[in-house]
Parts: sequence; C-alpha cells; structure tokens
Amino acid sequence: MIEIYHLYKEYERNVAALKDINLVIDRGEFAFIVGASGAGKSTLLKLIIRECLPSKGTIKIFGRDIARLKNREIPLLRRNIGMVFQDFRLLQDRNVFENVAFTLRVTGASSREIRRRVPLALGLVGLKEKAFKKPSELSGGEQQRVCVARAIVNRPAVLLADEPTGNLDPATSMEIMNLLHDINVRGATVIVATHAKDLVDHFQKRVIVLENGSLVSDQERGVYINAR
Amino acid sequence: MRVRSLCYFLGEALKSILRNGWMSIASIGVVAITLLILGSFMIISFNVNLFTQDVKEQVQIVLYIDEAAGEETRLELERRLVSHPKLQEMRFVSKEEAMERLKRKMGDQAYLLDGYEGEEDNPLRDSYELRTIVPEDITAVAKEIENYPGVGYVDYGSGIVEPLFQFTGLIRLIGLAFMVGLGVTAVFLIAHTIRLTVYIRRKEIMIMKYVGATDWFIRWPFIFEGSFLGMIGAIIPVLIIYYGYQAAVFWIQSNIHFIPMMPPQDVTTEIIKLLLPLGIGLGMLGSVISVRRFLKV
Repeated sequence: MIEIYHLYKEYERNVAALKDINLVIDRGEFAFIVGASGAGKSTLLKLIIRECLPSKGTIKIFGRDIARLKNREIPLLRRNIGMVFQDFRLLQDRNVFENVAFTLRVTGASSREIRRRVPLALGLVGLKEKAFKKPSELSGGEQQRVCVARAIVNRPAVLLADEPTGNLDPATSMEIMNLLHDINVRGATVIVATHAKDLVDHFQKRVIVLENGSLVSDQERGVYINAR
Repeated sequence: MRVRSLCYFLGEALKSILRNGWMSIASIGVVAITLLILGSFMIISFNVNLFTQDVKEQVQIVLYIDEAAGEETRLELERRLVSHPKLQEMRFVSKEEAMERLKRKMGDQAYLLDGYEGEEDNPLRDSYELRTIVPEDITAVAKEIENYPGVGYVDYGSGIVEPLFQFTGLIRLIGLAFMVGLGVTAVFLIAHTIRLTVYIRRKEIMIMKYVGATDWFIRWPFIFEGSFLGMIGAIIPVLIIYYGYQAAVFWIQSNIHFIPMMPPQDVTTEIIKLLLPLGIGLGMLGSVISVRRFLKV
C-alpha cells in the first residue's frame, strides 16, 4: 500500500531530514513511527501526503509514484489518506458536526450523504451527543476524537496520525490510541508517529525507529527502542 | 460547477463576509472610496471634454474675399472650398450681412455706422465662415487656403487656438494619468485588505488542503466574497455620484448659465458601466492574488 525506496529529504542544502529510508507498509497494517523530536517522523508523514517532494527516492502509494502526480491529482490522493494532528486543527467557529462534515463537503458530497455519514463517524469516536458543541466547549481528548472523526468520515484507506497524543494526559492518550486501533481493526492502514513509549509498548505492533533521519530499526510486534 | 457546489460557495462567501464583519466593511470602504475618487474624476473629465468640445466647435476660419477679385475668381474659389476634403461646413456672409451683424453687436452705438451702409460705402468685405471636420486641423487648413486666388486674408484666431488645443490635450493627459494611478492603487489596497481576510482563514485553507480540497474549491468562495465586496463597494460611489452630480448640475445651471454640463442620466450610465465591472473585477483579482500564497500546502 505504501512503498518507500531510497528516500532522501533535504530541506536546505546538505541538511538531511531523511536519509535512505526503505519501507513497505501493507494494507491493513498498524505501524508506529518512533523517534526523538527532529528524527524525521513528521517529515516522513508530510512526504506521504505529498505536502512536499522527496529530494531523492520514490514513494509509491496505491501503486503510484506520488512525485509524478499532477497538481490536480493531489487532492484525490489526500481524500484517501486521513490525517490526525497533535494540535487537532479544528475550526473553532464551527461546531463538531460541521468540522467533521468539512471533509465531505470538499469532495462535493450531497447534504443527504453528509447527514448520513457524519453521525456514523461521530458514533464511532463516541461523540454523537456533542455534535452541536463548539470545539472550545470540549476537552482535549474530545477535540482529538473530533479530529479523528474528521479524518475517517470519508473512509480513507490510510490514516496518518502525527503525535496524536502529544497534547493529552496518559489516560486520554490511551483512549485515543485505542480508537486508532479500532479503526485499524475495521480495515484501515494506520500509521502513528509518536514518542509515547508506554503506548507503543502496550500495543505490541510494528515499530519503525527513526534517528537523525535514518531508519535504525523496523520490528514486527516491537517495543520502543531508545537508540540513544 | 455543480449547483450544489455553487450554493455552498455562495453560502461560504456570505458567511465569511458576515463573520469578518469589520474586515468586510473595511474592504468595501476601500473599494468605495477609491472608486468614488475615480468616478468623480471621470465626471470632471467628461465635463472638461464637453466644454472643450463646445469651444472647439466654435472655432472657425473666416476667409475674407479680395475685393479686387472678379466673378470668375470668386466662383473658382467657392468650388475649391466646397471640394476641400478637410472642410465640413461653409457659409457665405455678404458684406451687407456683416454690416447687420456689426450693428447688432454695437447695440446703442450702432448710429456710428450710419453712412457706411450703402453698396459703395460699406467698408466691410464679403467672407466665408468655414469649419474643419477635425478642429485641430484648423491652422494647417487656414495656411493652405490663404494662398488660393481671390483670398484677401484669412482669420482663424491664431495665437488663441493653438494654446487652447495644447491645454485641452494636457488636461486629458493628466486625467488619464490620474485614472490609471488610482486604478493601480485600488488593486493594491483591495488585494491587501482581502489578504487580511484570507490570512484570518489560513488555518481553514490548510485543513481544506489536508482533507483533499482542490485549489478551485478553496478559491471559489473567496472569489465570490471578493466580487461581492467589490460590487457593494461600487454601488455606494455610483449612488453618491448620481445624487451628488444631480445636485451639482442643478446648482451650476441655476447660478452659472453658460457652462455646458453632461446630463446626469448619461453620466450615471457611463459611471455604472465602468465602476461596477471595475469593482467586481478588483474584488476578484484581489481575492485570487491573496489566496494564491496560502494554497501552497
């Protein structure tokens, strides 16, 4: 599903954010990408959603080299990849329902479709009752659930989460991670960039370790390795 | 564009205008003020043009016929004047008619002319009053026909006509420069103001990009918003100019009678034809320029 070959990324000349990454993530997998801040986790996710282009190497998603996508094809790629952010990135002036509906609106979905799908997604993250609250009236954990609902409402094949628990307390973090796990069980490929050691160890899933832009370890059913 | 999307874009544009209330009012204000200045200048320039046109139409060549010229020469002269390609109008003024005019002009003192009226005593000459098709040709044409046989001398207000034409040309040039300058300023101001409303919504744009919105999907609401603000910003000066100009024309015509003024109806039509598309265009252009920078995610 996601194939990465000899991937390099330099933001400035000779400052490598990623060095020679080789990685294949299959359909339906759950993978953690771990590493210290600045190890290249976010860069990797940005490359996968084609927010930036690799300096060298190839990323294939659904069998296509995404560097070769035409500008108008990028939105279509992103509709198949849900994205969850550390800082939630919700629209504060819209209620929960509208925040989740946003994803469907940009694809031109009908309002009937929106009225059907948004409650389903909100039900899945356990926020059906808070559909008409504003984000500011919700706790951090609830806001992250809205963010997850927004990412999955159009049923993307891949869900990327960039430090999804970075702003949450441990109990809430576990809830969110369980939620991501549920989504994986329902069939989506889930990739979580994190440095939350407890969570990674708890789930016993595939762990890909980045350090200073290099891939130093990739284990099935792994644990968090602190390379340094 | 699907009807559903169109409704959504229009809805988003309206919501955004209301949500950014003060910013919207500021944008409308900028457009309105710029277009008001532009429109006022247009009115002034219309009327200066009308005035100079009026003056130009009064400019004429007076050709006095040589008294010594015989019947043959006079007929030949008339033939040449009639067939001249740059002349459009000619009128023969006999010396008797010229005397009548002079008397009328002198009014109470016309008695001074008593005794000069007879066929033999009239010191005035027969003449032609000529107009050129293009008023600016007058000097050249006058110099040319001066040399025709049978011509006594030619009077075309030399020394007055040339500076007048230079002056009206200058006024028109200044007017054009003003309009271009104001137009450019307007685009800058509007792009800047709309950029602020776009900046406020940069987060929304970023999220839209992440969830797979096409660039045009993001642009359309802003384009509608910009053109809507531009339209309101154009309607305000049109109204002000319409009522203001009506009042001005009324005042001027009841106080200074001889100044010709464009009728308010005509002016308003011209102003609407220019300001409305300009306002909408400026709004759209401002939006497109402003959004572009935030689309690179």
